[in-house]
Amino acid sequence: MKEGGFEERRREAWDDYERLVASVEKGKPEAGVNELPRRFRELCSDLALASHRMYRGQMVGRLNELVIRGYKLLYRSRRKGAESFVRFLVADFPAAVRREWRLFWLCSAMFWVPFFAMMAMAWVDLDWVQAILGPQGMAGLEAMYGGEEEQIAHLREEFGSNFMMFGHYIQNNVSIDFRIFAGGIVACLGTIFFLVYNGLAIGASAGYVTYACNPESFWTFVAGHSSFELIGMVIAGVAGMRLGLAVLKPGRMTRGKAIGAAAKKSLPLILGAAGMTVLAAFIEGFWSAQRLPADLKYGVGIAFWVLHVGYFLMLGRGAREA
Amino acid sequence: MEGRGARLDTLQAIELAEGVEVRLRVAGPLLRGGALALDLVIQWAVILLVGFVLMLTGTVVGGQTSVGMISLLWFFVWWWYPVFFEAGRWGATPGKKIVGLRVVQTSGSPITFGQAVLRNFLRYADGLPFLGLGFFGIPTFGFALATVVATRRFQRLGDLAARTVVVYDKLVAEPEVPAPPPIESTAPSVALRPEEVRALAAFRDRAGLWSEGRREEIADHARELSGSSGPAGVSRLMAMAHWLQDRDRR
Repeated sequence: MKEGGFEERRREAWDDYERLVASVEKGKPEAGVNELPRRFRELCSDLALASHRMYRGQMVGRLNELVIRGYKLLYRSRRKGAESFVRFLVADFPAAVRREWRLFWLCSAMFWVPFFAMMAMAWVDLDWVQAILGPQGMAGLEAMYGGEEEQIAHLREEFGSNFMMFGHYIQNNVSIDFRIFAGGIVACLGTIFFLVYNGLAIGASAGYVTYACNPESFWTFVAGHSSFELIGMVIAGVAGMRLGLAVLKPGRMTRGKAIGAAAKKSLPLILGAAGMTVLAAFIEGFWSAQRLPADLKYGVGIAFWVLHVGYFLMLGRGAREA
Repeated sequence: MEGRGARLDTLQAIELAEGVEVRLRVAGPLLRGGALALDLVIQWAVILLVGFVLMLTGTVVGGQTSVGMISLLWFFVWWWYPVFFEAGRWGATPGKKIVGLRVVQTSGSPITFGQAVLRNFLRYADGLPFLGLGFFGIPTFGFALATVVATRRFQRLGDLAARTVVVYDKLVAEPEVPAPPPIESTAPSVALRPEEVRALAAFRDRAGLWSEGRREEIADHARELSGSSGPAGVSRLMAMAHWLQDRDRR
């Protein structure tokens, strides 16, 4: 068949198809959209034919554009419902963390070793702690935790200040998780830097407060949300290390492909870590500063830690990745 | 495709499940930088505008609630604005939409939520190195530029991780200028490979866009095939293209 004849015979079908696609793109589907998949496949074969026979560039170009527009509509990913969210919560996320248990312990060490080192330093040689916190940091800690009883609760007396702190924690802490993750792609350097840095800074604060201020006001405050926030941070670190290791040690794949494969593995980790940190912000904003007996707060804090251990050890077992 | 050697154009051929190959035009760093700048302007405008309104309501209602709202606003606009738009039906942030770009999977289909999360959270790493201290400060997007230039499909780090590419949303059709009518139809002296046939067809399609001198200049590159140079070479090539395209195919 000659080019002109081919175009003449098929033109009407192409125009119909284009009208249908345009109507769906505008969100007002016309009658006959049910036929779109069939028409799409016809168009695909037209394009294959036209480019195989090397017809005019303009005609092939138009068919190419029409196929892309249809493909975009037909292959749009369907929004996943509540079911996949629940599955992520009770199975996929803990299983993903367990799969990376080596990196989990490595990242935990990168946070906790500097943390306890700085806490110990508060007794051995306070200069180290002072060097890290700086005069402003120390003054801030004393203002919050220096007094006899819970000053945080006083600070939160103004209307809406719980919500203010909640917003602040979301913005600050979840952003830290995302940076820990993204920094990993630079050959793990960003992840290591942020984990160790946070370990040092948090350990120094905890050590300084325990040494020089009123420890109870500090520990009762952090008890409730500590498990969510710190485990979440470590898991964000695992996600970042996963990416960075793909750059350092791509194995038998090219680096680009290895990064893609590692990112797929790290996606549930970073989403889960973000979710945990959001929960931590809720607790930190609305619970941690409440004026309640210290024993109750410690009890809740310990209960959350135990729940986390159980969650990550037990849930999602047996459900193998498809 | 990898082994086919260097290509001059940015067309990316992708085979669909339907067994047909479509061509996407991958977008380069300049246009993407423009889209990024537009997005930054939009993000700042939203933060300033909505933040201002929240501050006003805060003074009316009293209390600190509005400060918390502004923190949340900042968080959502900064991290989730691109994810929301790219995972949505546009497949592009407003900046990309204005410039005429779209994010797709390397397979050509629209991106998923997970991919939007990956490529946008990693924008932080693409922003390195930062002016100022190490991992803080003002992003220069040096890493993004370096990887975009170094990869075949102009992918930044986030694109590599999420397996996405940024393409032109609509391919601009070439202006249609009728080529000079073929005078004769000649079979090529040797058997041609498909790419060579395609090149001949493209030469014929585009001949109408060029001046006579330019046609001869291009035709002279194929002197070995046509066996003559200058105007004679041009008409020989046109005749061959005519023979190849319009011969009867039963």
